[in-house]
Amino acid sequence: MVDLFKVMKALNNQINFFKLEVTPTLSDSLNIAVIIKLEPDFSEGNVSYNPDGTLNRAETKNTLGPHSGIAAHAAFFGRVMYDAKVFILTMGPPIADLALQQAQQISDAEELHLYSDRLFAGADTLGTAEVLRVGIEKIQQKMDIVFSGHRASDGETGQTGPQTAWKLGFTFLGNVISYSVDLETRTIRAKRLISLQGSPNVVEEVEAPLPVFISIDPTYKSNYNAVSQRLAFEKYQKEAIQRAQNFKDYLKVFNAKELGVDETLVGLPGSPTIVYKVERVPKSTATRRAEVIDGTDPEQIRKVVTKMKEALSAMVIK
Amino acid sequence: MTEKYRHLYVVIEHEDGEFLPVSFEMIGEARRLLDDFNSKYSLNEKVVAVILGHNIKDISKKLIEYGADVVIFADNPELKDIRNTIYTKVICQIAQDTKSLGEIQPEYAGEVKKPRYMFFAADSIGRHLSSTVLVELESGLASDINQLVIEDIEMSHQQKTGGKKETYEKTLKMYRPDFSGFLWTTILCLDNKNPAFQRDYHPQSCSIIPGVFEPLKPDSSREGKIIEFTPTIDEKDLKVKVLSRQIIKSVVDFDTPRTIVSFGRGIKENPEQNIRLIENLAKELNAEIGVTLPISKKPYSVNQALDSKYMIPDRVIGTSGHKTSAMLYVAVGVSGAMQHVWGMKDSGFVVAINPDEDAPIKDECDIFIKGRMEDVIPLLIEEIKKQIQIVEA
Repeated sequence: MVDLFKVMKALNNQINFFKLEVTPTLSDSLNIAVIIKLEPDFSEGNVSYNPDGTLNRAETKNTLGPHSGIAAHAAFFGRVMYDAKVFILTMGPPIADLALQQAQQISDAEELHLYSDRLFAGADTLGTAEVLRVGIEKIQQKMDIVFSGHRASDGETGQTGPQTAWKLGFTFLGNVISYSVDLETRTIRAKRLISLQGSPNVVEEVEAPLPVFISIDPTYKSNYNAVSQRLAFEKYQKEAIQRAQNFKDYLKVFNAKELGVDETLVGLPGSPTIVYKVERVPKSTATRRAEVIDGTDPEQIRKVVTKMKEALSAMVIK
Repeated sequence: MTEKYRHLYVVIEHEDGEFLPVSFEMIGEARRLLDDFNSKYSLNEKVVAVILGHNIKDISKKLIEYGADVVIFADNPELKDIRNTIYTKVICQIAQDTKSLGEIQPEYAGEVKKPRYMFFAADSIGRHLSSTVLVELESGLASDINQLVIEDIEMSHQQKTGGKKETYEKTLKMYRPDFSGFLWTTILCLDNKNPAFQRDYHPQSCSIIPGVFEPLKPDSSREGKIIEFTPTIDEKDLKVKVLSRQIIKSVVDFDTPRTIVSFGRGIKENPEQNIRLIENLAKELNAEIGVTLPISKKPYSVNQALDSKYMIPDRVIGTSGHKTSAMLYVAVGVSGAMQHVWGMKDSGFVVAINPDEDAPIKDECDIFIKGRMEDVIPLLIEEIKKQIQIVEA
């Protein structure tokens, strides 16, 4: 029997070979950056809560934020489909290199940039966006697409992405669930999921010239339908794993000076907002008076169900 | 006194002329805040609704009925679709337009440069729009707010004041629930008074969670000013083309079912088996299944099918998800964090299943079944089968 897989693989190599024959023009290439964040790991066994229900940050492990992970997957789609060169960028403490490594393993990134300096600490989204803007503009190649996650799972503002986009002067596309690039016309087509209070969800398809900044929706999915795409997927995935094993070879760390940021625009001085107070949510006055039932007593459960039935008066009762 | 910043601007959202409820909610809260503010400081600042779109002149006056003093509208065919770049530019033009700022309240004309406060909706549109607008206006933004207070604050802050005690007048205290739902964070947007890097940060701005604030009852006798603003449209801000818009049905429906069964971290002892139990309970009650915010962060590893079906943001009931007013709400292993309670408190009849009698959910339910879900749910299912027969429509 013919080994279909081998045939496909050979075919794919030929395609790659053919590609090499063509002198790549500059406009053929695609540069993708992803901004990511190291966040508390909310998975069971890694997360720790205080007795009052708040997060115990000291005991909780850190990991690549889940939305950052989705953004890295979106970048990998560009790697597979358009042979893009991927850059992963983050601002954070030195241990944030862990998140860069995790994102490299997803995206097969060629460069990992960590912006780390005590001066950056305490920044709000505006002060963070400034560091990321300078970082992205410092890269020698011009970025065609910059991805960010939907929002961080600890801060949950979702502001850093669009704010970085605006500072870069890139067209911002939010809530993107899929995309494709036309390398010849240098345009992108993207589908966006828009959900608004009291309205049905809408999927909007848009087209824009590159460069763009995309904040990726949590429901984003990459589709690799053609066999050649799946083969490229496997090839780059292998490469990604190898690269991530030696991620330090790809890592560049920049402090404020090396980055050349204006120190009044980053960290605390560059942050309009401050956290004034963190308090426990006051216990609201009881809105209902609960009747406490022993859950192991079938007789009491029977009464509960009777009351549930009464509440659902519109239902047909046996 | 000369003040460069006055008034409260509310960025209105609508879909082809139909206002989103959050627009009226924001105006209602703005009205309440500014009425207090004006009487406390003996001022006459205004609630200004800002609306962009095409063919919207006629709908503007409705915003006055709901509590706005002034409506500034920009009507242009290029504003029909909501596109971030052009919307950001036009909103910023309006916020810095000294002519309309002068018209709003002539006694302050000439001195006012920007709004004092700005509100946006915390949804798919307002979240991003607020972010980009506030970069352009070079000021601060707090997201997902559920309480607002204006007062003078005296404080010393290493960076903001250089360690000196300073008074920040008319400061907007912006409260947001954190991801756990147990903490409430107050965010302030403050000028840098530190001589080392002095800078003004106005407007003080936030995005507001839809459904949190009450709208005012519309009053058709209310009077206000309607100002047309002619935007400057630059071709380079129109790069995005909207090719199509398609309405899709959400996989999760919290609006039609009469019963919702939701679960939280209480499933942790045996997540997969417990989710199956909850599925069975929901099936017996013909209920939709909701989750708490922590569950959407996928804290447990369960099989892929259950994971992608249930541990998703689309199912979250609470401030960062949906609000329901189901006839029957069954909360299984839900502790009752504020952010979840907000999403379910309007339900008709609430039953909680929880082994911990100190859990805050006890104050939000009609019946508190004390016990482990592993023990309680099978008994419940058995009894429901005896007593309730669901007839599907």
